[in-house]
Amino acid sequence: MTTLTGSLRRRFLGRPTVAARAQAAVRRPELAEDPAPINIAPNDPLLAYLQSARGPVDVQALQLDSPALAALKAADVKLAVPLVSQGELIGVLNLGPRRSEQEYSTDDRKLLDNLAAQAAPALRVGQLVRQQEAEARTRERFEQELEVARLIQQNFLPKQLPELTGWHMAAYYRPAREVGGDFYDVIPLPDDQVAFVIGDVTDKGVPAALVMAATRSALRAFAPRLIEPGAVLERANEHLCPDMPEKMFVTCFYGVLEPATGRFRFANAGHDVPYVKTADGAVELRARGMPLGLMAGMSYEQREMVLAHGDSVLLHSDGVVEAHDPQRRMFGFPRLKEAVATYPGGADVIDLVLTDLLAHTGPGVEQEDDITMVTIQRAPGSTSRLLLDFELPSVEGNERAALDRVGAAVATLLPEARLDRLKTAVGEATMNAMEHGNSYRADVPVCVRVLTEPEAVHVQISDRGRPPSGGPTETPDLEAKLAGLQRPRGWGLFLIKNMVDESREFTEGDLHTLELSMRLGAADDEHPGGTHDD
Amino acid sequence: MAEATATFDVRRQGSACVVDIHGDVTAGSEEVLMRAYADAGDARAIVLNFTGMSYMNSGGIGLLVTLLVRANRRSQRLLAFGLSDHYRQIFELTRLDEAVGIHESEAAALADVSGATVTRHG
Repeated sequence: MTTLTGSLRRRFLGRPTVAARAQAAVRRPELAEDPAPINIAPNDPLLAYLQSARGPVDVQALQLDSPALAALKAADVKLAVPLVSQGELIGVLNLGPRRSEQEYSTDDRKLLDNLAAQAAPALRVGQLVRQQEAEARTRERFEQELEVARLIQQNFLPKQLPELTGWHMAAYYRPAREVGGDFYDVIPLPDDQVAFVIGDVTDKGVPAALVMAATRSALRAFAPRLIEPGAVLERANEHLCPDMPEKMFVTCFYGVLEPATGRFRFANAGHDVPYVKTADGAVELRARGMPLGLMAGMSYEQREMVLAHGDSVLLHSDGVVEAHDPQRRMFGFPRLKEAVATYPGGADVIDLVLTDLLAHTGPGVEQEDDITMVTIQRAPGSTSRLLLDFELPSVEGNERAALDRVGAAVATLLPEARLDRLKTAVGEATMNAMEHGNSYRADVPVCVRVLTEPEAVHVQISDRGRPPSGGPTETPDLEAKLAGLQRPRGWGLFLIKNMVDESREFTEGDLHTLELSMRLGAADDEHPGGTHDD
Repeated sequence: MAEATATFDVRRQGSACVVDIHGDVTAGSEEVLMRAYADAGDARAIVLNFTGMSYMNSGGIGLLVTLLVRANRRSQRLLAFGLSDHYRQIFELTRLDEAVGIHESEAAALADVSGATVTRHG
């Protein structure tokens, strides 16, 4: 399969007005030389067709009165993949027949579509910068290329990490001035599983950033279907190998976490071995496998471990262990492993390792390579005890049963006034769950759980609704209500917030939960939210 | 429409009407409460007796606000007695205590209406 070739890249990166003068190049793997480019006239109907096409276009099946289309057909182009960024056609990825001589599969097309969607903005950035380069001095050009690489790279890093109940995640990424090819990713998978990826592309700058983008796209395309880390890396390697530029490859660690059980399956394509802080010290997550893009036909060993409560995984890039001190001594694996064993897990280990690195390299020294660290920590085991667990049909009035049952269960734990406050909050939260979460569908129950800890009692009220939008909610104001500026109702959330010591919301799968907490041992007259006007 | 879970019995006491509340005051009580209010007619003041109330939720608070709006329109005073400490706290929190005259007993509330000794709590 032909993908973005050197020829294509040259042609499209340098042409900011491709929509008017779009050109395409076809490259057959068996051809030693670049074929002649196919010029597309500005008024050729193929341009408008490609601009509005959704996904790869079957060239041979397309019927248009278009000289360019005829030329593409004559060049034996099978698929044309439009690269559209911000509504503008910025290029076309033309593919000849598959090497296997089979037709392009649905998966191929999905992957190409995905790749095009991700590559187009990157190419767009490249085009704009190349346009400026023509007028800039060599130094400026170099700096701008670096900026492009940074933009591409940062554009493809997760904007935020997912929130998993019972898990803490943290990530740190700092590119070197001459941007390397580090990347990390978090991919949601079916059955609430989550894939974690960390990788490093050899080389630096824009080429590394583009290969990074291609690798990320491949992994994202294969992960949800193949799930198993070994299979995902194997497939990604097959996909990347044919078009990997010379002397480039990608190291990559790929792990799949089952948050509910802590099961962590992983495979490794030659990336620095991650460490896990456990109760017994630092453990290495070793699995054999060649870097991606080096050689086709590779298989990847898959292994697994169960992350216990308190365990913390550190994924890292070679920018950490290969950082040099003034005497050119590396920070090294043993020191990082020791840090994992000694330091607390989670975000703390990142901060502490960075402090150690600074002390190692010395202040004011330019960072040699990208530094990336990702931590996945399972929260320490809970000491909570389940006191009560029941379900109620979402039927008006059932909040009364919820507050009565919860009240009876915790009656001996809280003083009377605080018990009344908790019961009121439970009633309101249950009403909200039945009405707004479950739309008063009787067959969709509200789940109520009461948990006790030495310091507090927690009531969790769960519905199957979507979590609230997070937008600002109107604070009820009696004067405004009396003046007709607010509706008479709308006191529920206000009451909940003011009745309990703490409330928080979280979502697990399709279950949206509001947790109400009351501290134990607090005096009866302790007043969470209200004011006494005596 | 939610089912009414409370009763509101109206008694005339001079120029005031006392409304004895029993049960759970929720949004479902709107119809019966407003019927009781209509029964109170042109009384100078409406005195709510919460002694027999077992539960009130945010919907019930919303009903009281509606009642207040209507009473204000007709220049009627709204008073209350028999609130438990918990609901008195909720009245403070929602600032209903500033719009409804809170009293310890029916006698104190009626005295307030008639302009005799005024005892305000809260």
